[in-house]
Amino acid sequence: MTLSTSNVDMERAQREQRERRMPGDAGRPLSQSRGVMRTARIVSTVLVALWFALPFLPLVLWSFANSWSAPDVLPMSVGTDGLTAAIANGAVAAFGDSLLLSLIVAAIATPVGAMAARALSRHGLPFGRLVSVLLFSPVLLPPFAAVLGINVVLLRAWVPPEIGVILVLVVVAIPYTTFSMLVAYAAYDDGFDEAARTLGATSRFALWRIHLPLIAPALARSAFLAFLVGWSDYLVTLVVGGGQLVTLPLIIASSASGIGNESSVAVLSLSAVIPPLILLGLVSRARNLNPGRQS
Amino acid sequence: MTSETMSGESASPESMTSAITLTAVTKTYSAASPAALQGVNLDILPGTSTAIVGPSGSGKSTILRIIAGLEDANGGRVRLAGRDVTTLLPEDRGIAMVFQRPLLFPHLTVLDNVAFADRAAGLSRAQARKRARKHLELVHMAEFGGRSPHSLSGGQQQRVAVARALAAKPSVLLLDEPFSALDSGLKGDMHAMIAEIREAVNPTILFVTHDRDEASAMAERIVVLENGQLLQHDTVDHVFHRPASLAVARLLGGKNAFEGTIENGVHHSGLGAVAIDADVEPGPATLVFRHEAVTSTLRQPTSGTDAAALATRHADAAACQRSGPRALHGIVTATVQRGPRREVIVRVADAEVHTEAAPGRPLAVGDLVTVSLPCEALWAVPRQ
Repeated sequence: MTLSTSNVDMERAQREQRERRMPGDAGRPLSQSRGVMRTARIVSTVLVALWFALPFLPLVLWSFANSWSAPDVLPMSVGTDGLTAAIANGAVAAFGDSLLLSLIVAAIATPVGAMAARALSRHGLPFGRLVSVLLFSPVLLPPFAAVLGINVVLLRAWVPPEIGVILVLVVVAIPYTTFSMLVAYAAYDDGFDEAARTLGATSRFALWRIHLPLIAPALARSAFLAFLVGWSDYLVTLVVGGGQLVTLPLIIASSASGIGNESSVAVLSLSAVIPPLILLGLVSRARNLNPGRQS
Repeated sequence: MTSETMSGESASPESMTSAITLTAVTKTYSAASPAALQGVNLDILPGTSTAIVGPSGSGKSTILRIIAGLEDANGGRVRLAGRDVTTLLPEDRGIAMVFQRPLLFPHLTVLDNVAFADRAAGLSRAQARKRARKHLELVHMAEFGGRSPHSLSGGQQQRVAVARALAAKPSVLLLDEPFSALDSGLKGDMHAMIAEIREAVNPTILFVTHDRDEASAMAERIVVLENGQLLQHDTVDHVFHRPASLAVARLLGGKNAFEGTIENGVHHSGLGAVAIDADVEPGPATLVFRHEAVTSTLRQPTSGTDAAALATRHADAAACQRSGPRALHGIVTATVQRGPRREVIVRVADAEVHTEAAPGRPLAVGDLVTVSLPCEALWAVPRQ
């Protein structure tokens, strides 16, 4: 009898699974556009896609153009001169430095942001509002003024420039990691941790086997944002780094200020664009395992 | 000690110490709010199943969370099998808890969910899974081990949650409204499952429910809680038929309560004189009885007068058993169908009595009926 109940249960579960569609899901009457609106939707999608993609076309063409002058629509000769020039300019080392810097910033800012968000998402944090204002203040300050001011402090404190860059960039990244983790924790069910503990798991075991796997997708998104802060920074690396740290954006800027090296600038720009795109692909592939708060 | 309770060999004298003992447990969430628990004392014997019932906010779940170690009590002690666990972390208490939501870990398969407690205890994956399979069999979910939790229905998920808790070999199994989200048919299956589990592994069960039927279906004892105070802890039968106070009678759905006074074992109220067997102090008291225990039958012209005469004759007899069951005459003022049962409200003298219709011709408003009050159903509580 119980067996047949289970089968009925299973069929019901499968049916519910099929029918579990949200009101805004594609294919629902309310989300389907018709007639003129349908045309407008397709046209606007194509326009936005072009807006995002078109700038990359000349970039790709320039990367492989050995020579390309005004009246010609396409490069006159194709080759790897740009790549050679970029490498000669120190692109490989700069790429490595950029990668290392961004990874370090992400590795520090992500756990700090996650812990801050965890604390803020729980009620009863003393001075919670003040803490969140402080955490988000780096986003509000005008970067140039702040960086110049901080640089004086760092110089006086004899902080090595590389450490200084990391310190400042981590502070810049923390609001982003904190905010993205706050969103994740708002949907996180503490019951999972409680269930784990009542089943005999120590806090460490519950953290590694339950908590972290459940928030992993959010951590990946958060780390991606922190990575971008390090990867795209120019100002902090230039001012605080004082030339000690030469990252990709610095090389791009110096190359772009010269004349006649368009193709090497294009190669550098592409190499700056590709890693975040790969990361974005990886992050969006991360399966969201946490079903959120169960009702 | 925990394995003893689990394997059903709990009859040894040492293990007959209480499974759970709460001493003067107090809990206040904030200075502004009233105390969630006010000096609760509770004693639960091993191998028993006890239900905690009470209105929302009465502190039912708080008791479980304090026993589990998920909340700290502000005062009092918690002992499990004689061991003081008041300051221990949840993982060191030897309990397991099933929550209202199944809370199956979504990144683990059903089998690995059930194997979690053994993995946490340091068993190898293979050993833990082997044991987990046995526990899945216990809840009739053996064939679902490889599935992902979200592919199961709510009832199946809760079965797995129970198996997962049992796999932790708890000395005490705590259930916090575990089946309240399920429809009534599934609830029945769950109650049957709990009965099977009790037969197989005999754990001490303490569960919270707001469903009186569930409390009596799954437990032999009931704890009644209101405003953080323990009102009564007794057998199911006593809590329903021998409530400690009017509040208990009301909380358990008692509909008949008549204020009056007791003299010589007879309660006098708007209902008339009713002899009570219970040993009650003379003075102000409220007569209570379950409407399910009293039946209304269509009044027969001859026997009706007999019954009335009988009742009058013995009105001031000392005890109900000697005088025979009390029969009252009244007129039906309303009827309410509740599933297969029919509740009949009868006006007797100045009072309204909630009764059950006896099998036979359905009663209608205006019918003259005889309400018979069995001696066992009658009870009086001190007037507050």
